[in-house]
Amino acid sequence: MKYLDLAMNAAASLGAEYADIRVQRTTDQVIFLRNLSLKSANTNIIDGYGIRVFKDGAWGFAHNNVFSDEAVLATVQKAYDIAKLSATVNKDKKLRLAPERSYIATYKTPVKIDPFDIPLSQKVELMMEVNRTMLAYEGIRQAVFYLIMHKDEKLFASTLGTRLDITYQFIDPMITATAVADGDSQSRTFDEGGRAVGWEWIESLDLDQIARQTAQEALIKVKADTLGPEERRSLILDPNHLGLTMHESVGHPTELDRVLGWEADYAGISFATPEKLKNYRYGSDIVNFVGDNTLTEGLATLGFDDDGVPGQKWHIIKDGILNEYGSTRDTAMEIGLDYSRGCNRATYYFDQPINRIPNLYLLPGTKPLTPAELIGDTEDGVYIQGRGSFSIDQHRVNFQFGGDFFWEIKNGKLFRPLKKVLYKSCNPEFWNSCDAICDERFWRPFGVVNCGKGQPSQTARMTHGSAPARFRNIRVGGSQ
Amino acid sequence: MNIKYIEQYVRTHCSADDYVCYVTKSDTHETRFAQNGITQHLAGPKMRITLSVAFGTKNGSCSVNLADEANLKLMVKTAEDIARLAPEDPEAMPSPAFTELPKVQNCAEATKALTPLQMVEIVQQSINKARTLDATVSGMCEKHLRSSWMFSKNGFSGSDESSTFGHSMTLKKKEVETKVSYEAKDFAGFNLDRDFDRLAAQAEALKDMHSFDPQKIAVILRPEALEELIWFMTWMMNRRQSDEGLTPFTGKLDSPCFGDKFSLYSTLQKPEMIASPYNGEGLPSKESCWVEHGVLKNMPVNRWWAKQVGCEPMDAFNFYVPGGDTSEAEMMKMVPRGLIINRFWYIRTVDMKAGELTGMTRDGVLYFENGEVKHAVNNLRFNEIPHEMTRRILALGKAALASPYAVLPTLLVDGFNFVDKTSF
Repeated sequence: MKYLDLAMNAAASLGAEYADIRVQRTTDQVIFLRNLSLKSANTNIIDGYGIRVFKDGAWGFAHNNVFSDEAVLATVQKAYDIAKLSATVNKDKKLRLAPERSYIATYKTPVKIDPFDIPLSQKVELMMEVNRTMLAYEGIRQAVFYLIMHKDEKLFASTLGTRLDITYQFIDPMITATAVADGDSQSRTFDEGGRAVGWEWIESLDLDQIARQTAQEALIKVKADTLGPEERRSLILDPNHLGLTMHESVGHPTELDRVLGWEADYAGISFATPEKLKNYRYGSDIVNFVGDNTLTEGLATLGFDDDGVPGQKWHIIKDGILNEYGSTRDTAMEIGLDYSRGCNRATYYFDQPINRIPNLYLLPGTKPLTPAELIGDTEDGVYIQGRGSFSIDQHRVNFQFGGDFFWEIKNGKLFRPLKKVLYKSCNPEFWNSCDAICDERFWRPFGVVNCGKGQPSQTARMTHGSAPARFRNIRVGGSQ
Repeated sequence: MNIKYIEQYVRTHCSADDYVCYVTKSDTHETRFAQNGITQHLAGPKMRITLSVAFGTKNGSCSVNLADEANLKLMVKTAEDIARLAPEDPEAMPSPAFTELPKVQNCAEATKALTPLQMVEIVQQSINKARTLDATVSGMCEKHLRSSWMFSKNGFSGSDESSTFGHSMTLKKKEVETKVSYEAKDFAGFNLDRDFDRLAAQAEALKDMHSFDPQKIAVILRPEALEELIWFMTWMMNRRQSDEGLTPFTGKLDSPCFGDKFSLYSTLQKPEMIASPYNGEGLPSKESCWVEHGVLKNMPVNRWWAKQVGCEPMDAFNFYVPGGDTSEAEMMKMVPRGLIINRFWYIRTVDMKAGELTGMTRDGVLYFENGEVKHAVNNLRFNEIPHEMTRRILALGKAALASPYAVLPTLLVDGFNFVDKTSF
């Protein structure tokens, strides 16, 4: 595309120390079926380009959706002018960029069947069948099937000489049944999160069985007991629950921009400050978290980030000790690193990229351990599946999580289903209480497609993962 | 962009039985600063054109962000293709017809005239002021101009223009961290000296921090804190969700679900607030009473559900809670002890049917006793049911602009349910 060279040559001739252009076309199809009524079958196409200019220790970013030589040059000029304006403020607070080499590369999400090639009628009929199945259960008042299909087609060029051609896709099905009985209503959701795969994932799912199980468990849940007063108990957390817990209590605190206070006004800062690197006990010695933007089917696997830095794999927590952060070219230098971990991502063309959580997962246990054995080894506790209410303070210390489906464990057995269970904990208590993790046979990914952060707000995606894990002596109880 | 061109194109080329077209255009400038430096700085125009079409009761829609012929052609074809392949929608409604819309003034000249240079100067002054306190400041200075249009095959035609200016500042000095923000449609109401003085005063008050255990205790909720609870509470006040048994308001219309000191309206009569003249269904905005002296009078309801249950469709477009005349100083004398809450953070629903929420305090909590502030305390987690909380309102302050969409009072509430604390 001629605009890449045009923009980079113009930025260089203006005197930019660094510049890049990201031409991005985003196509979303969101199908939302509520009961048997198609509430949305929208295709959304967002097309344009964003230009970053780095000058005198400051960024300028301008975006446009008009593709012409004049518009591109005007946008470069605008980004440059903004950078110069920013630099007047940053005179004694100059940003610096970690060194990076140039790349010429192509990355494409491995997709066997492009969801956009599947006729809408086929998708909707499949979804209707799921909702019909759930609504056939007496007591199910609402059935919702929500399906997101997403594609980014990006061309990236920088004044380093990098030229990237990236096609990224993901798909995310979410199925919810809501039961009403005895003056209460409770929902159960099938939610594995999104995956960077194609329609072949949907074809591999036994949707009829999922619909039946989701409806049946909603009915079990609405009639389930509550747990009663809060007590210290053991928790066994399923991967599709633990994904969000690690996202909030490990992923966000180890984003380097938060650590530096760059999110202080909005998303918050982090307790995991640089002097804790390599010495702070974040978790027990079986807790190992890896940042991995090379993960197969990972939502943050794009080949390169929006700094033009390749995907990498590194330990964020190693043997329970805080090891490293997720970083970008401009945040890395602030703590003396001369490399970025490639975590700079933007959502749409009009977003300036920011430091995001990479694919981040808990490594499985190294000794053979099945979920059944883990439950069998637990005298008194609660087993939680799925996402529920979640809330954490702005330093990422204190948190309270719910879940989607709960079983009380008594004497090594699933004793009775529960509803409205909450647990409260904090960092570093929570991860230090982890005393068992099932082995790699039971490791499952969990994709987050709606991670909100930044001003202006952006929505990023990343994949987490774990095997079922046990946490001892956690405050667990019922809601009000 | 020529809205006439878009309308002409759609009216000429869309062959569907029915359609609605939405066009939004915005121009923004956003300067983000942190720890006394600018970390992000961005600007540019955006546009979104969405066409929703129907063949009989089969619906489809497509959005694009360019108004050239190629994109408009793609939009019409994609929306029509989707609708042809879609199943019959049992809840389909015809597009809205011509409606008289209220006249609103959502755009302020001072905001329109604000330049990038002025915005950077505001940021620079904020940083300079923080440095005089040996502190750091982080925040966002932002300007948004938005225009929107909507037209339908059945004759609806509406447009709106709005502006917002925002400047937020989070001051950090040692362990003290607190925030003041201004967000309104009119830049003319902004006063950096006033806001920074308030920020500095808050920081000063927070210097002496004591550990405080969670408990039920009286709270003074400032408007910014109340607004966050109101948004979540009103999200549950949905007529259909309630009629289907999913919210705490099932079967509760005309019942005293709230405390009798609490009323809630959407209004066109507060010029400081933004009030869109119509919603996405083409419903004209009008004076709406949701809660009157504690009685649930109405809930937002869309056109289809309103038809099913035989009520008038209505929507909430802003929030006004009438206040009283009690000052914070007077409130502190009305209870033996309590906490002053600036803001909440990370509120989430715990139990939709009960209406229970959780969240944290943020940006400074003050403990008062015997009518005066004693010291700051650590942040706390609450689990609370906001509509039940309104039954425990003891006093209301004057209603003030909390955001462009909310005019709310400070409340004195008894027995607010804190359940946990954090380390700072």
